[in-house]
Amino acid sequence: MTPAYFEFQNAVKLLCGQNALDRIPDELRHLKAEHPLLLTDALLLRLGIVSAVQDIMVAEGCAPAAVYTDIPVDSSLGAVNRIAMVYRESGCDSIVAVGGGSVIDSAKGARLVLSQESDDILSIGGIENLHCGRHIPFIVVPTTAGTGSECTGVAVIRNEQQGVKMEFLSPFVEPDVAVLDARMTLRLPARATASTGIDALCHAIEAATCLQSNPLSSAYCSAAIRLICANVIEAVQHGSNADARLCMAMAATMAGIAFSNSMVGAVHAIGHALGGVCHVAHAEAMGILLPHVLRYNLPAAAEGYAQLLPEMVGWEPAAATPPAERGKAMVQAVEDLLALLHAKAGIPLRLSEVGVNEQQIPRIAETALNDGALIVNPRPMLAQQVADLLHGAL
Amino acid sequence: MKRRLQAVLIAAALRLVHAALVELQELDPAVAEELRRLPVGISYAIYAGYCGPSLLVRWDGERLSRISDTSHPVKNTLRFKALAIAFRLFTGQIGLAHAYAQHAFTLSGDIADVMRLARLVNRAEVHLFPSIVTRCILPEQPGPAVSPLRIYARIFYGFLKSAY
Repeated sequence: MTPAYFEFQNAVKLLCGQNALDRIPDELRHLKAEHPLLLTDALLLRLGIVSAVQDIMVAEGCAPAAVYTDIPVDSSLGAVNRIAMVYRESGCDSIVAVGGGSVIDSAKGARLVLSQESDDILSIGGIENLHCGRHIPFIVVPTTAGTGSECTGVAVIRNEQQGVKMEFLSPFVEPDVAVLDARMTLRLPARATASTGIDALCHAIEAATCLQSNPLSSAYCSAAIRLICANVIEAVQHGSNADARLCMAMAATMAGIAFSNSMVGAVHAIGHALGGVCHVAHAEAMGILLPHVLRYNLPAAAEGYAQLLPEMVGWEPAAATPPAERGKAMVQAVEDLLALLHAKAGIPLRLSEVGVNEQQIPRIAETALNDGALIVNPRPMLAQQVADLLHGAL
Repeated sequence: MKRRLQAVLIAAALRLVHAALVELQELDPAVAEELRRLPVGISYAIYAGYCGPSLLVRWDGERLSRISDTSHPVKNTLRFKALAIAFRLFTGQIGLAHAYAQHAFTLSGDIADVMRLARLVNRAEVHLFPSIVTRCILPEQPGPAVSPLRIYARIFYGFLKSAY
């Protein structure tokens, strides 16, 4: 059904494929950036993954003015404010972020602080409430294929004091340039490949079926799901397959563009709460929660799920499924994929596997209830229903 | 003329929502519990567009009080992007979730705090609108704790006493 009204925005320039990384200095020049702040995390630096970017920048005369690596998993409000401080103290004029969701979202938060000429990310919280501010050139190089954060207008940052993940939504957090180069994900371990792939799948399914879904974002969702289902097992089993890696990166980006324009739903609302309260890794939380939320949503979203079945299993098996069964069959296909990835890569399927216990459930449920993503879930959820779902996933 | 009428009706609806929440604090356990969990001193503002009516409230730990000075700085604000969109929400044509999905408003402040306000407004609407309307525009939730007639009667009496 066509929505009564929708908005769609994506202004990120995408550099995708062979030698994409090598073009970063040229892009920096186009953006009039001469002294970039390179943001990454200590692990990526140690593994030498960042050097692929840094070496190119140095060789082409765009050496970073500073390198910042002290970024915690799930980011933090404190880290964001510190990055902004380092940027100012080091005389930087642009940001290059190399990493997964935590690094990219931290960079987005810091850029927001800088462009709004603030000192504290908390003072500029909200949804679509900011003016454009000062332009800070911003290039993102994802090292996982899952978050899609390289193309979204949202930053998710952990409030370490309150134990919650906060969302900052504004079109002005979108990067200028996103760089997808298979070299950045070739060494990603199988389990991380699988779980981040499921994160992207979750983005696509939720974006296609939530209340804010629209025809443009749905087109991205369909393409993303098709690419994920065709490539995730190959990327897990043969990590050095550059083509499968690039397909997964493209899928994650497309799913990111989709959910940036139509939001997500209960999987993310509860997943953010799990991350905030219990420090469960975001992508693993998505894989655990996804089938439970899909089953819960089925009475309200069966038609939307049915439309995704051909992307999940192919056109012929979808056509052979009776129309009334297609929604349920799509959920089953997701469960089958998760079971396969559990067997091949060891992704967790139960909350107990990631250390969540029964006593934490009331707090997780209460936190999830206050997450903005819950408002657009296709079927409403109250605290009791969130708690029931969590018990089911334990 | 149409715009002026919309503004008058929205202003009335905002006052009605506030009055309903004050009354429901005593009558609806869901509202009482939601208010009880609010941080003491938290303030909210709802603006209908940039030149339209507004409602500013503050929770002092016991009562949701209206702030009459509309220039008062408020931590959490929900601003409808246009008067016409606010009119659709306050006349029961769309619910808050659909308004959000349609980018109908901007939020400043902590989203978690504004989610609390959204649930309170939903509870007020459950009691103020006929069930045939709330079934279409609101997320499924427990029905009214008391009859709408009783709420309207209490609000009417409250307005007579200038209680809001």
